[in-house]
Amino acid sequence: MTTHGNKGQMRIIEAILASFIIMFALSFANIFAITPTSPKYEVTELQKLGYNVLHDLDEQALLARFIYNAEWDNITAALRVLLPLDVYFNMTVYELHDSSTRAINNATIFYGDIETFVTSKNVASVTYGLAGYATKINGTYQALYEPRIVALQLVRG
Amino acid sequence: MVNAVYDHLIAILVVGAMFVGTVVVLPSMSFVNLQAVDQQQLRNTALNVFNAMLLDPGDPADWGSIDPNWSSGAVKRFGLAPGQNSTFYVLDPDKVQRLVKGNPLGELSYAEAKDLLGLQGYGFSFRIIPPFNVTNVNGTKIDTEHSPLEFVGPPTYNTLRCAIKVSYLDGRPIPNATVQGTLFYTSKDDFFITPSNKDLTDALGICRKDTALCIGQGDIKSLITVLSVTVSDVATIVVIYKSGSVNIVDINLVRDTMILTRTLETPRDNVWINNATFIRGGKELVYLFNSSRKNDKDYQLNTGAKRMWERSFYGLSKYDPVVFVLNFWAVDKDGRGRSEIVIAGPCQNLMGYSVFEYGDPPRSSHSVVKIQRSVVISSMTYTAELWLWKESP
Repeated sequence: MTTHGNKGQMRIIEAILASFIIMFALSFANIFAITPTSPKYEVTELQKLGYNVLHDLDEQALLARFIYNAEWDNITAALRVLLPLDVYFNMTVYELHDSSTRAINNATIFYGDIETFVTSKNVASVTYGLAGYATKINGTYQALYEPRIVALQLVRG
Repeated sequence: MVNAVYDHLIAILVVGAMFVGTVVVLPSMSFVNLQAVDQQQLRNTALNVFNAMLLDPGDPADWGSIDPNWSSGAVKRFGLAPGQNSTFYVLDPDKVQRLVKGNPLGELSYAEAKDLLGLQGYGFSFRIIPPFNVTNVNGTKIDTEHSPLEFVGPPTYNTLRCAIKVSYLDGRPIPNATVQGTLFYTSKDDFFITPSNKDLTDALGICRKDTALCIGQGDIKSLITVLSVTVSDVATIVVIYKSGSVNIVDINLVRDTMILTRTLETPRDNVWINNATFIRGGKELVYLFNSSRKNDKDYQLNTGAKRMWERSFYGLSKYDPVVFVLNFWAVDKDGRGRSEIVIAGPCQNLMGYSVFEYGDPPRSSHSVVKIQRSVVISSMTYTAELWLWKESP
């Protein structure tokens, strides 16, 4: 009788131990689960947003004017009003120079906290090309081929 | 025998506790993941819907410009992009105006739009907001009760003082924003347009400007100020009504046709249009027409009809008119005889500080996804926002 009772208790203890093992295995597997909140989605959204804003500025003939006339304060203010409040940006303008690129903005085109750009895993980068800008030469407007590359980094603050 | 019963009872209790524990613990373990899946699914849906709204012209491609027999039933697919020569994120003003509640020429209701977008089981709110705020100096919204305009310069009070604050959407002030106003006002028999000088906001985002008027406050029958506020060439327009200007008609624009429709304030007596002007793309003032005299039949409104007056102006929409200001010869609201009255339109809730909202307000009890894009309507930049949530589990 006693032997039978001990056997039953052992079965229960085994079952408890087995359930703990299952629970442990599940929670351990959970650590390695790939959730849909992957950085890829956030970065894609920020890239779309960045391209959208640059395209809108270009559409209104403002982007080329700001860049070719070196109106860095204006482009900073325009990006600040057009991007959502929680999106920080850092823009660099390059010119093509002897098959290499050279940053030409002598003032920072930046908004936000520099630390966020360093620590955040979700930094999006958008590149936008401009071929040239029409300037008045001998009384007529002419656009010379003077390519500029705009690199816009975005991060959510 | 008794021991065996105890063993069974204990076993049942332990297995029951394990079952309850598992039911409680396991879902909570994967709850975060389930929530993330749900949120991402909602985000994907919102992105698809927003793209359809902003990048697709819909079907028919000119569904917003169908006139005079517009019917929401004619819209087979929803989309706000222009039908022709469309670039990304440029919206058709005719289609946007069809979303304005109470549009006298016909509107597309929220339920119909939801149906067309295939959003059964979801709720959404679509907002178009200016890229920055223009408010009273104390931060209150500009409206008829809280006007930034004040007559100064006793004894005739022939100077109009305007004090506004320009700030980012988070409330931080914007210094060096350019503020330019155009004053449209009438006396009993005359119509005046006075442009003001360009001024800049100070470090606190505040701009105070005085503009001398041709007549004193006592002689002014109606007055509208159209402020054009520009931050780095990104402009917003604010229309401010002051003393006597009531919407005696609604101004509508469908493609190149201006249509004036009846309102509750429309007088029963004859009404003539004397002058029509508009401001294009947040920039210059354009004179559309001046009627030759107050009894000109071509410019007399049909007081018996809902559509009181309409006329096409070839190529008008190409000028990107944002605000029309019309001067009428009509009986004033107090019935004290005829005078000239200025009104502005169309779609005042699209102009200036006001937020254009379409759909249900976002519900805090649901998991809500918000997406923003910058859009262009009539050469003016706005921020379009979509809030989407699930209504059914």
